[in-house]
Amino acid sequence: MSESEQPTASFPSDRRRFATTRWSLVLAAGRESSAESEAALATLCETYWYPLYAYVRRQGYDSAEAQDLTQGFFARLLEKKYVQQVQRERGRFRSFLLASLKHYIINEWDRSRAAKRGGGRKHLRVDFKAGESRYRLEPAGVETPESVFEKQWALALLEQVQEALRDEFRDAGKEDHFDRLSVYLTGETRSASYRELAAELGTTEGAVKVAVHRLRKRFRSRLREEIAQTVSSEADIDDEIRALFDALRS
Amino acid sequence: MSESRRCPQCGAELPSGGPDSPCPACLIKLGLQSWADRAGGGPAEDVAATEGIPGRFQPPDAEELDGHFPQLEILELLGVGGMGAVYKARQPGLDRLVALKILPPEVGRDPAFAERFAREARAMARLSHPNIVAIHDSGQASEFYYFVMEFVEGVNLRQTFDTGGLPPQEVLAVVPQICDALQYAHNEGIVHRDIKPENVLLDKRGRVKIADFGLAKLLGKAPAEFTLTGTGQVMGTLHYMAPEQMERPQQVDHRADIYSLGVVFYEMLTGELPIGRFAPPSKKVQVDVRLDEVVLRALEKDPEQRYQKVSEVKTDVESVGRGRERKKPPPAATLPPLHFRMPFVFLAVMFYAVVFSTIEALGLSPVLAWILVVLFLVVPSAMIAMRLRDTKLGSYAKLCAIAFVAMAVCWPLYSGLAAFRADPQPTLDWLYRTTGVTPGRHDVAIVRGLFTVGAALLLLFFFYGWWVIGGRLQARWRGKRSSQEEEGVKLSSGISTPARRKP
Repeated sequence: MSESEQPTASFPSDRRRFATTRWSLVLAAGRESSAESEAALATLCETYWYPLYAYVRRQGYDSAEAQDLTQGFFARLLEKKYVQQVQRERGRFRSFLLASLKHYIINEWDRSRAAKRGGGRKHLRVDFKAGESRYRLEPAGVETPESVFEKQWALALLEQVQEALRDEFRDAGKEDHFDRLSVYLTGETRSASYRELAAELGTTEGAVKVAVHRLRKRFRSRLREEIAQTVSSEADIDDEIRALFDALRS
Repeated sequence: MSESRRCPQCGAELPSGGPDSPCPACLIKLGLQSWADRAGGGPAEDVAATEGIPGRFQPPDAEELDGHFPQLEILELLGVGGMGAVYKARQPGLDRLVALKILPPEVGRDPAFAERFAREARAMARLSHPNIVAIHDSGQASEFYYFVMEFVEGVNLRQTFDTGGLPPQEVLAVVPQICDALQYAHNEGIVHRDIKPENVLLDKRGRVKIADFGLAKLLGKAPAEFTLTGTGQVMGTLHYMAPEQMERPQQVDHRADIYSLGVVFYEMLTGELPIGRFAPPSKKVQVDVRLDEVVLRALEKDPEQRYQKVSEVKTDVESVGRGRERKKPPPAATLPPLHFRMPFVFLAVMFYAVVFSTIEALGLSPVLAWILVVLFLVVPSAMIAMRLRDTKLGSYAKLCAIAFVAMAVCWPLYSGLAAFRADPQPTLDWLYRTTGVTPGRHDVAIVRGLFTVGAALLLLFFFYGWWVIGGRLQARWRGKRSSQEEEGVKLSSGISTPARRKP
């Protein structure tokens, strides 16, 4: 079971942290799910449904089929049907999800019963219409469905992190600061812009630099937290980041 | 379908968001641990940095620090240790690179620290020497005590060890520079107390720069503190400490630096630390045997047995480096060899005598003869001696001049005295006239007796004077006042050798 998943983190606090990440909860629960593990799984699926949808669409299914397929898959997932896949995927939610989906498509999904919806099935709160329009907007490239999946996963993750940060700033009453500063999250410092921004906000350039730096630190730690929700050990976080970086670069 | 733009940094396709929205790939990369460490984007190693206890002091990132120092542009973190963190920075106004060192915040908890800091900073600022890292500024910014120092682009000695060490010739070029810096500091009353390879920097031109003067004293690093967290780096610092520094840290003086220098010297030559029963350097690497003595003396456990001044170390190292015996004097540029001198002086004396007698024989009065001799012998030889001071001719001329002057003084004196001895009467008459003393019957006898005694004394005095002055002159010509030389002078001063040399 999850005993084979030994976290490589050496600090006790990490062990504790990973014990409560969603994926770890799910893994720990196994077949006997608790309310927490079910809720955890549901949250994970709600966050990362779009990459799956994009994958399915890229496979060639049209909008209606993709929607049905995705919904069906999640229903099965939440019925705890695929948790035994976990052993093979070595503790990463992302790979687990894709593998389970592939399994579902091959073995279970029946096109002919596409019309079946509702009725006792657990539904996720998913906005398929928005998803479809988003998919349409993406430039059609030569990517494989898998790379589409990974790329969209990374983008979903980043969105998640930015939303979380925005909420933090909003709670502090500084939402507009977030919008202005988040532009500087990456890349070289553009000193001229710092000066302008400082003038606009009525503060010093030094203060702006400090604020940007703090935002970066917060972003980083939030990012790692979110990734931690989908892996089960500290070492996996860096691996995951590199994998997603490669996916975004291609 | 819009055209995709590419991120200039990672080459990823940019989403069709706003023109300013950050590249997602770069955003994701923010999450990596290693990026956060290299806060400014440059490598954290390969620039001179002091080492110390890792993990005990978490320094702020370059960008965060930048806000605290409005007058500086903080570029990157260079290194961190128990003594603080060092950053590379730029002074925009002067457009020059500097090193910014901040101390761990916990030092500020001691209320007396501020005063100690100000005092030590002033002492450090007094040190102005090409081989010492200069302090430009110091103070306190928010919770950080800081120093702004000269930025040294190069490596420290520890890094040279890691890459195989320096060849012996270069070691012998580095050590004297360390000695210069230390001697200068000791003259200013400042002891470094923490000389170790990490604190000795070498810039791109091979010039030595010593860093962290006085920091050990400022931060009050007692030996006990070093025994915490036994990482190899921390324990290593103990090896450079003089024994008295570990036993009685309050009574440490400048000789502790000499011991540390000895350890570093040994390590530079052999690549190992002098622990326990260690072999002398010449047995481990191909270096001059005479260096053993220098290194071992610097490593003496008892400070009294050690070198007492760093400059002595430098002198000894340099003389070994030049392949010369330490006690051998430099070649005498001016003086002819000892065994030439006496016969030459004798010849000069004879020459004078001959010339003088010849002139007299020609019918001129002694006075005139004397004037001629002075004009044509004494003055020219003296002038040649003065002008051609540093040449062989000049040195011979010096001897001539001395001989001639002596003759010019003594011969008339002697003649006069001889005349007086032969016939004291005219002189006595003159005396009677001037002093009004009545003549007595035994006056002549008395005078003759006095004369004899006086002449003898004069003669003795003359020879003694020749001995002393000649010796002093020779010593000055040689540039050294060793007793060995004086003995030589004694031999040549005229007491024994003329008897030998005369035919």
